[in-house]
Amino acid sequence: MRRVLTVRDLALGYSSEPLLEDLAFDVRRGEVFAILGGSGCGKSTLLRALVGLLQPLRGKVHLFGYGAPAQALEPPAFGVLFQSSALFGSLTLLDNVALPLRKWTRLPEDAVEAVAHSRLRIVGLGGFERHLPSEVSGGMKKRAGIARALALDPQLLFLDEPSAGLDPVTAAGLDELILTLRQSLGVTTVLVTHELASIYRVADTCIMLDRDAKGIIARGSPRDLRDRSSDARVQAFFLRRAPGGAT
Amino acid sequence: MRRPVTEPAFTIELQQHDGRRRAQLRGRVTLQDGASLWHDLRAILQDALEPTEIDLTGVTVLDGGGAALLLAASAQARQRGRTIAIVGATGEIARVLRLYDCPGVECLRGAPQRKSLLAQIGDGCHDLLRQVRDILDFIGELVVGIVAAVRRPRTVHLSELTMLMERAGANGLPITAVIHFLIGTILGLQGAVQLHRFGADAFLANLVGLSVVRELGPLMTAIVVAGRSGAAYAAELGTMQVGEEVDALRTLGQDPQRFLVFPRVLALAVTVPLLTAFADLVGCLGGMFIGMVELGIPPTAYLNQLRDAMTLSDVGTGLIKSAFFAALIGLVACQRGLQTRGGAQGVGASTTSAVVVVLFGLVALDAVFTMIFRLLGW
Ligand SMILES: Nc1ncnc2c1ncn2[C@@H]1O[C@H](COP(=O)(O)OP(=O)(O)OP(=O)(O)O)[C@@H](O)[C@H]1O
Ligand SMILES: [Mg+2]
Repeated sequence: MRRVLTVRDLALGYSSEPLLEDLAFDVRRGEVFAILGGSGCGKSTLLRALVGLLQPLRGKVHLFGYGAPAQALEPPAFGVLFQSSALFGSLTLLDNVALPLRKWTRLPEDAVEAVAHSRLRIVGLGGFERHLPSEVSGGMKKRAGIARALALDPQLLFLDEPSAGLDPVTAAGLDELILTLRQSLGVTTVLVTHELASIYRVADTCIMLDRDAKGIIARGSPRDLRDRSSDARVQAFFLRRAPGGAT
Repeated sequence: MRRPVTEPAFTIELQQHDGRRRAQLRGRVTLQDGASLWHDLRAILQDALEPTEIDLTGVTVLDGGGAALLLAASAQARQRGRTIAIVGATGEIARVLRLYDCPGVECLRGAPQRKSLLAQIGDGCHDLLRQVRDILDFIGELVVGIVAAVRRPRTVHLSELTMLMERAGANGLPITAVIHFLIGTILGLQGAVQLHRFGADAFLANLVGLSVVRELGPLMTAIVVAGRSGAAYAAELGTMQVGEEVDALRTLGQDPQRFLVFPRVLALAVTVPLLTAFADLVGCLGGMFIGMVELGIPPTAYLNQLRDAMTLSDVGTGLIKSAFFAALIGLVACQRGLQTRGGAQGVGASTTSAVVVVLFGLVALDAVFTMIFRLLGW
């Protein structure tokens, strides 16, 4: 299978002191790649580096066939959902989704609205098109963020905790969406998540980051990690155990 | 890689026999060719008097955008009473189609429409009333806050006070100095021409000194502070309000008045009179400079004349005014900030309105003070 993303010797941080170093991994076309790890270990930071919003301290991110990341010269080749959703507060949900369509397609206005409507509908936001982000709930913002990331039918998606704040039913619907995109359209998804159920259901490959180790402490399919890893930190994550806690 | 704009990657062919129409879609149906897809589909479906089938058997790729456009075009035609069926979708194509074919709740709220003049006037009045009520609310809370603060001064959050004073006062010195030196020279130049005609050169110090100390020093300083600190406070508190930080303060048992407003008002009330005193001095020096250059008045003569011309009440009234100006700036800016609604736009609006209201308030307050001081003979 072809790779869409390669990371080699990557070191990331917000000062000269790296938060993560010696990162190396590949993401293959059509796979769902999950980034796991404790809160504050640098998952969002890694995602920012992958999409080109954060300059690495060392090393490089290669996005094959997608040009240089985050350049405004051609249509963005990937969709990004930020952890905070990052919706534009002065635009309605519909306009948030329509923004990239207006900029990068030559669709007439009614077609733009039709497409934006359906994007919102598949994340269950039909009927909230004219609401402002400040008028919807946190989980709804998250879903609108996903609809916006899907706007241009990207072949590569970066999702930062897509199911955070969603009820189990909606979260399951989201997993279904990710799987459909992968199977029917070959969409590659890189996602950060803490939801064990969702990890088992959608992820082909996981990497687990650790704050103290400043890097990847485990990689493999979720079941392999759960059943075969002897690392106490990985076990603690998959068995939801508090560190050092008596069980 | 995106292909350059070329021929669409799909074809659409219309076949017609035995009163049935069949639109045969082939190739890659994607958002990229969305514009042509939308155009072609609508052309075919618009005048579909007979039942029409859209046949997807030959479609190799259907992406989300393609599916959305296909379904939207059929739905529109159906609304006009046409009979449209989408057939021949299998496997992954059918799956994408199903994903996008969720029965949609149609938009509950219509697109915002332009309001009539009458409605706009009504909205305006309503807004005005609401603002008046907000201001009264704010004053009420403020009074309660002051009483509570006097009773228990420790509940006022003063740890930021020195930082706020530095930002509002010390950091504002350079701009205050430049502006007042220029004001002194402008007054000096204008005055020098007129005074020279009457041979009253020596009175330059009276003219510049009194104008600066009684009026221009306090007012211009307040305007500078309104632009620097007033706008900053409104934006700061507005962003906190929008980001639910103010609500968070309340849940932590902190009163926003005592936590955010008092320290800011206090910081201004202390620093603005000091800035004004400094501005008075620099303004007079500007006049002295012009006196020297234009009229050849030696500095000592200018300063002696200045001492004779000015009384303590001239300086004092200016400084009293400036303390009230400071309170006005602080209160209005904080009130606007805390009453911000909406997102980034709301912050912009409240900052603008803070500066506008403060500027108007400063001039109005100045007029009131001038009258009062006249009556008192100060
Ligand atoms: N803009 C920033 N400047 C400096 N340090 C930052 C910045 N953003 C994040 N950090 C630091 O980087 C570390 C990793 O942050 P990051 O947001 O990547 O964590 P995360 O793994 O996504 O956590 P979570 O699961 O809670 O979202 C944290 O310790 C944080 O303090
Ligand atoms: Mg994060």
